[in-house]
Amino acid sequence: MHGPPPPVFGMNIGRVLGVWVAALFALWSLAPFLWQVQTSLRPDEYLARLPPLLPPRPTLAHYRAVLADPTFLRLVVNSLGVGAATTLASLLAGGFAAFALAQLPARGKGLVLGLTLSVSMLPAVALLAPLFLLVRALGLRDSWAALVLTHTTFTLPLTLWTLTHFFKEIPRELFHAARVDGLSAWQTFWSIHLPLSKGGIAACAILNFIFSWNEFLMALTFTTTDASRTVPVGVALFQGLHETPFGDIAAASVLVCLPVILLACLFQRGIVAGLTQGAVKG
Amino acid sequence: MRRSTATLWLGPALLLIAATAVFPIVVTFWMSLHRRFPIFGVNEYVGLANYVHLAQNPRFLRSAAVTLSFTLVSVAVEFALGLACALALRRDFRGHRWILAVLLIPWIVPTTVSARIWEWIYNGNFGLLNYLLLRLGVIAEPVVWTADVRLVLPAAMLAEIWKTTPFMTLLLLAGLKSIPQPLYRAAAVDGAGAWTTFLHVTWPQLKPMALVALLFRSLDSIRVFDVVYVLTGGGPAGSTETLSVFAYKKLFQSLEFGYGSAVGIAVLLLSAAVSALFLLCMGRLRPSSA
Amino acid sequence: MIRRAVLLLFLLPSACGKPKETLPSRPSDRVTIVFRHGRVSGFEAFFHQVIEGFEREHPSIHVAEEVMPWDSGQQHQLYAINLEGKSDAIDVMGLDIIWIAEFARAGWLMDLSPWFSADKQAKFLPATIRAATFQGGIYGVPWFTDAGLLYYRKDLLAKYGLGVPQTWPELIHAAQTVLRGENNPNLSGFLWQGKQYEGLMCDAMEFFGSNGVQVVGENGSWVMDRGRAEEALQLMVDLVYLHKVSPKLVLAADEEVARHVFSEGNALFLRNWPYVLGIFNKSDASIRQKVGLAPLPRFPGQPSVSTLGGWYLGVNRHSKHPQEAFLFAEYFTSFAVQKLLYERLSYLPTRSALYRDQDLLSRHPHLSLFEKILSNARPRPVSPFYMSLSEIFQTEISAALVRIKTPKQAIVDIEIQAKPILGRWR
Repeated sequence: MHGPPPPVFGMNIGRVLGVWVAALFALWSLAPFLWQVQTSLRPDEYLARLPPLLPPRPTLAHYRAVLADPTFLRLVVNSLGVGAATTLASLLAGGFAAFALAQLPARGKGLVLGLTLSVSMLPAVALLAPLFLLVRALGLRDSWAALVLTHTTFTLPLTLWTLTHFFKEIPRELFHAARVDGLSAWQTFWSIHLPLSKGGIAACAILNFIFSWNEFLMALTFTTTDASRTVPVGVALFQGLHETPFGDIAAASVLVCLPVILLACLFQRGIVAGLTQGAVKG
Repeated sequence: MRRSTATLWLGPALLLIAATAVFPIVVTFWMSLHRRFPIFGVNEYVGLANYVHLAQNPRFLRSAAVTLSFTLVSVAVEFALGLACALALRRDFRGHRWILAVLLIPWIVPTTVSARIWEWIYNGNFGLLNYLLLRLGVIAEPVVWTADVRLVLPAAMLAEIWKTTPFMTLLLLAGLKSIPQPLYRAAAVDGAGAWTTFLHVTWPQLKPMALVALLFRSLDSIRVFDVVYVLTGGGPAGSTETLSVFAYKKLFQSLEFGYGSAVGIAVLLLSAAVSALFLLCMGRLRPSSA
Repeated sequence: MIRRAVLLLFLLPSACGKPKETLPSRPSDRVTIVFRHGRVSGFEAFFHQVIEGFEREHPSIHVAEEVMPWDSGQQHQLYAINLEGKSDAIDVMGLDIIWIAEFARAGWLMDLSPWFSADKQAKFLPATIRAATFQGGIYGVPWFTDAGLLYYRKDLLAKYGLGVPQTWPELIHAAQTVLRGENNPNLSGFLWQGKQYEGLMCDAMEFFGSNGVQVVGENGSWVMDRGRAEEALQLMVDLVYLHKVSPKLVLAADEEVARHVFSEGNALFLRNWPYVLGIFNKSDASIRQKVGLAPLPRFPGQPSVSTLGGWYLGVNRHSKHPQEAFLFAEYFTSFAVQKLLYERLSYLPTRSALYRDQDLLSRHPHLSLFEKILSNARPRPVSPFYMSLSEIFQTEISAALVRIKTPKQAIVDIEIQAKPILGRWR
């Protein structure tokens, strides 16, 4: 089903062009990050000196300063936990809802999808005070739960919309055949809809995890101690009263990105496999 | 599916949305109907007075204009770049999986960190951009990107585009990969060139996903805050003050909770209008089969 | 039966999910107070040690720290969210000098007059006490202070036989002489903070003040002299475009950007806070020997003015343990602790006695200069509406600096927007 297109002259040129374009984009994506990496290796005296392009005496002092902080590891654990929980919750809640929506008549579906968008309509700064009241009333201040709940909701619209789109593409015949075979809706969901939507699930999983990993405003407002603080807040905490230890901040941000980059690399096979999973039609 | 079962499946999502989205919207709207200054202990109901004042406030109108131009340009460029990238990655070539992982890096970098990286890249004295452009002979003397009113908004847009293009790329790639191969074969058999194939096979199949990606990026872009606030603080002279930055300053700097909430609701209305536009476009789509 | 009912009655509140914030005070002895402050990266253990010192002196009080990022805007936002709802979750707070009148007016701070008596206040620098006084009450204990000053390159001035400039014309002349003589495209004359942010307000108030301009009078009314303010703003603009002694970089510069350029040896004069000296002293850069400090220049015939910065310790009005909170605030601003904080963190002390402490002076001779500068330091307009005022000033001054408006127009627009704010609410 997915072999390379038949070798027509025009198509092969396209392939070569594609590789070059992809490589260019990779460079463009990597460059500022690499700049940050080289900044993190610069001794303090060289932080604001350009040229030289590369640090003449690379040092690990900034990394030592960051790792000497006993709480930093704790923050990474918090972020990983909150991110994983958010991704799972979002996929589940979104998946269940999408399952129902894919079968609802157009009007009801449009209403619910439109309502979901309301999550993304109010600026984050306006959400802070009301949500803080809610979090405090529920006694969730300084806990993972507050962040997981809010992050899950913010990632719901994308998950819901994407999965609804993928579920809708599943032919009705499959669905009816399953029902005829005696499968309940629940079983249909797990054995038919989910496996056939791996592409959407993969895309949403990555995007949602990264969203939760990077979210700052809510994390800053709802957390007060290292029990629940996440990594973006940790990076902000390096800032001094007047001083901005940019070397340390650079090292911290590189360390912050590494686990996620690692995850992306580890799972890139799975991500692409999921994305590659074509539609069933034809 | 029966109504009752549908409600069960929809339950968790709807509950979360009610608590985390609808509730704050209601509270914010309620606050926007008041003149509320904690500094004076004032909390009086004024109806729509805040909105009337907003409509005549040149600062609000300017921030709306800044936000709209920011959104239009960034989303358009992100879409073009994301599409080019997704098309390039559609075929399997050696190392394409690693390239995908690398492409995600801007999205992985936290927004506040990314804003700082670009702040230093744009620095007039020791910034990378000036260094490269001077070396390449493109400019004769260093440019202070974030202090020039003509350059500062494009500079912020570039930082934002760098950060968010992977989002587009990933979604568009997911959409592209789900286009059935037989469609391409049929087109090739009919002797269609690359552009015709794109126009008549790829694009129609991709449109639903593309519209989803565009919709979400637009809604995010309308609410842009971090990159602008860290890079410019809304300056110089308030020329990059987007609606979210304006709302933030009213809510948390001057502590005008009523007025700031009104700005928040204005953003909501703007987002709702944009969403309605997109929904209209999507409604006209019929699922196309081969 | 009755025992069970009573037991249930006690358990009920906790079953209802008491918010985690009110930490359970153990029956009878220990009281826990929460101290919220900015986090000093790399010095957490040191802070903890100092706090433990207090706990040893007062075994019945436990201090729980809650750290925040040092970004003033973020802290202001967090305080606003937490204190708006009359929360008792915080007892002692680190406050920026510019918030005190605002928080006091909002009813978020406790008036410390019952415990912070006049003779206790007398031990602190008078300017710091005045800045924390609002409508007859005192709302913060001065924790550490800050004032803007001029850094200069001794070697460059000596090379051209120039003295330390006392007035702005002298500074312009010195800078132009050196720039011409050195003919170094990387060298800047005078660096200051011109980006649109709170730092711009600090610098602007110094420029304005050095021309005898005051903004808010004793009774909270508008007293800004339009002509003089326009002159001062014109000077700021001219430094960049007419005299060309300040590079366009200053329009995007904050404290750190300006500091970095000066540290690289690429500037003759720098306006910044005392912390820069601490950085020079800690590094082994050659720049250290060549740097001198002086009060900021002034307009001829006017006094030199520095913006008074600094942080205070305040007590939450709704705190359940105000007395213990004040005891802690007093301890943390005591002579011994301030000395420690200065030596380790370069936090300028607020107690006058420390500026005469021979031990400290022998190791930090610059303290006497700092004291002189502090005596001429003026806080930014003390008003509950300071944040709104600052926003207006920042935008309009920035507009003049990037030449969207003339200084005359900017000053007029400032007055148009700021006067009603002061006038409408009393």
